[in-house]
Amino acid sequence: MFKRSAADYVFDAVNILFFTLFTLLCVFPIYYLFINTISDNSLVQAGQVNLYPRGIQFDNYLALLNVGDLGNAAMVTVGRTLLGTVTMALTCALVGYLVTQNAMFGRKVIYRGIVVIMYFNAGLVPWYLNMSMLGLTNNFWGYIIPAIVQPFNVILVKTYVESIPGELQESAFIDGAGYLTVFGRIILPLCKPILATIAVFGAVMHWNSFMDSVILMGGDPNLYTLQHRLYLYLNKATNLGKLMNSGGSISEADVTSALNSRVVSLTVAMVTIIPILLVYPFMQRYFQKGIMLGAVKG
Amino acid sequence: MRKRALSSKAPLVILRFYIIAVCMSAFIPFLNPARVSGMISKNASLFTCAVSYSAIGDNFVRALSMGWISQGALTTAYIGALTGGLSVALLGAAFCLCFGNIKMCRLGVKLSALGALTGIAGMTVLRLAYNSFALTSRPDRVEPMLPVGIAAFWGLFGLMLIFSGAIWAAMPKAPEGAKYEMAPKYRLFLMMMPFLALVVLFAYLPLWGWRYAFFDYRAGFDLTMDNFVGLKWLRYLFSNPATRADIVRVLKNTFAMSGLGIATSWLPMTFAILLTEIRSNKSKRVIQTLTTIPNFISWVLVYSVAFAIFSTEGFLNWALASIGVIESGAGTNHLMSNTDIWLKMWAWGTWKGLGWSAIIYIAGISSIDQQLYEAATVDGAGRFQKMWHITVPGLMSTYFVLLLLSIANILTNGMDQYFVFFNPANRESIQVLDLFVYHLGLSGNTSYSIPLATLIGMMKSLISVTLLFMANKASALIRGESIV
Repeated sequence: MFKRSAADYVFDAVNILFFTLFTLLCVFPIYYLFINTISDNSLVQAGQVNLYPRGIQFDNYLALLNVGDLGNAAMVTVGRTLLGTVTMALTCALVGYLVTQNAMFGRKVIYRGIVVIMYFNAGLVPWYLNMSMLGLTNNFWGYIIPAIVQPFNVILVKTYVESIPGELQESAFIDGAGYLTVFGRIILPLCKPILATIAVFGAVMHWNSFMDSVILMGGDPNLYTLQHRLYLYLNKATNLGKLMNSGGSISEADVTSALNSRVVSLTVAMVTIIPILLVYPFMQRYFQKGIMLGAVKG
Repeated sequence: MRKRALSSKAPLVILRFYIIAVCMSAFIPFLNPARVSGMISKNASLFTCAVSYSAIGDNFVRALSMGWISQGALTTAYIGALTGGLSVALLGAAFCLCFGNIKMCRLGVKLSALGALTGIAGMTVLRLAYNSFALTSRPDRVEPMLPVGIAAFWGLFGLMLIFSGAIWAAMPKAPEGAKYEMAPKYRLFLMMMPFLALVVLFAYLPLWGWRYAFFDYRAGFDLTMDNFVGLKWLRYLFSNPATRADIVRVLKNTFAMSGLGIATSWLPMTFAILLTEIRSNKSKRVIQTLTTIPNFISWVLVYSVAFAIFSTEGFLNWALASIGVIESGAGTNHLMSNTDIWLKMWAWGTWKGLGWSAIIYIAGISSIDQQLYEAATVDGAGRFQKMWHITVPGLMSTYFVLLLLSIANILTNGMDQYFVFFNPANRESIQVLDLFVYHLGLSGNTSYSIPLATLIGMMKSLISVTLLFMANKASALIRGESIV
């Protein structure tokens, strides 16, 4: 052990203080959200719930069951997350494997063509008109199909497959295995860690995705995602709140509705955050692996 | 010998390109042979009509209930479109088989003839569908029309049938006992094809939409040479004072927000260096886990957090009231203000992303050779000297790459954040380029909204790519290694 100087002690103290504060800053808002949803609603409205929950109850969560359009939104979100993640992960694994095969006709051009789309897009309006031409607006598949091939994930898999000794594949080819057999029997099992990484990335992306619901599904409220619904509730709460502040003429029902919207919004937000918080600690190492591998290839 | 092999391949190559052309025509709305009525969307292609019945059927709910048209006519039209789709699928299969050995090629040519036949049948059915549409008692409400696509596809398929037949007759027979085989390079290519098609469909096909920037286009209208206006919108963009003012304002916001991000791009690196200075591994892990959480909640959720804290009934007003800055109950909704929006947006971005962006540097620090630190310790270097002379230079390369990338992305702020925080009060200072294009193109409803939004998006893409290219070159010059 080396000796610590006074400056060291001061530095350590300041450092620890800084990180404690920043960590609190990251966690407190979510905690605040949480205690507001489980406390007595009248205390919440009076602004009495700020540091710890008071009058704990879970009625708000039960009440969500009665908010009609939420069940639908939850189903859409869960559906797209499951289906989107599975199709994306398997496809990116296969594509990532295929682009490592030097024998492929036009391999370089194809690989570059896939990577380039990370940095280049036609713009929002042409994209929207294209989606509409393909019949993917107001259509559940509009969430899934365009998100199947993810260039970044393809790069991750490619880098990973390249680190697997080539002899494994060669010996299988000599034994008469085809490309798909080699992929299914050798590459896929070896790729489990990277597969988990891209699956986690994909699941979070689908779960959090919001603009595609706003842009593509505008005509069919049955296809709104949970995040989109939450946004609408928040807006409603803000607008009614603004009306009250400006002293505009509003009915008793509006006031109740505004407060209700607030509570509903916060509860929905909590319901949307909780799944992420639950899986996050287990998935953290996969995220980190992903970003480090990605760093290799910028 | 070699020359013969080459010449026998040529018709097959032509056939392959021909098939691609036919398959692509199935995606062009103008050539849609299933548009047997003016009621069917102008934007629907044969493909769309084949995959979903609603592309045809949804337009006739009223006509059907009023008896202006029979269910049979609709079904016929749909069967026609479906058959057309099937023929395209068959042609696709034929396309693939034509990459194989002779035996496989023969099968492919047979299949392409079959596909052409199916297509002809499909077009005939569509023609019949048109006939029953034309029988309607209310032509003004059903708008029967004979699409150009029927004749066009008839021609295309007929030509293909003849061509396939000719190739079939001219092609040598496969040797006795030959197997279906294909060279690995084509096998791999074909395995890649479906995914390549997805990439083309969703990333490259939209480029075709750039043409809207050169037309007088409004949603639902046609693109014809009549409303081709060339560079009118480009001139409009710079000559119309209102749009020019908008663009200047939006660019100011964009550069301000990107600029704040770039100016503070050293934060994650500092965060990482300071974090690794914490001695306890356990607290390091806990801090890292907790500070990366915000990165995984969406912007809507960040907004709901902001809403909980900064709205009228939120935490901030309580805190201000309890220390006596404002009177209890006199708080306002802080999200509805236009002050310091740039800084606020930067702060939210940093709150969300700092812990996450630091990970890459933490990984970088752990890959620095430990011997450097040991040697420095022996030489009597202190803690800060080691940080400054070993850790920082060790991370510079990563920092440089990320800095170049963020400069290349200066026009792209992403939209989610600004979209959710946007409200009438902060409109002036929050509208970045991406959000502006959204507001203009998808919720605007003026005569110029779509062409102008397309034009701005197009210019943005071109500039971004140029910047990226330059960043790449700069990186190659300075570090001797390119980024992309």
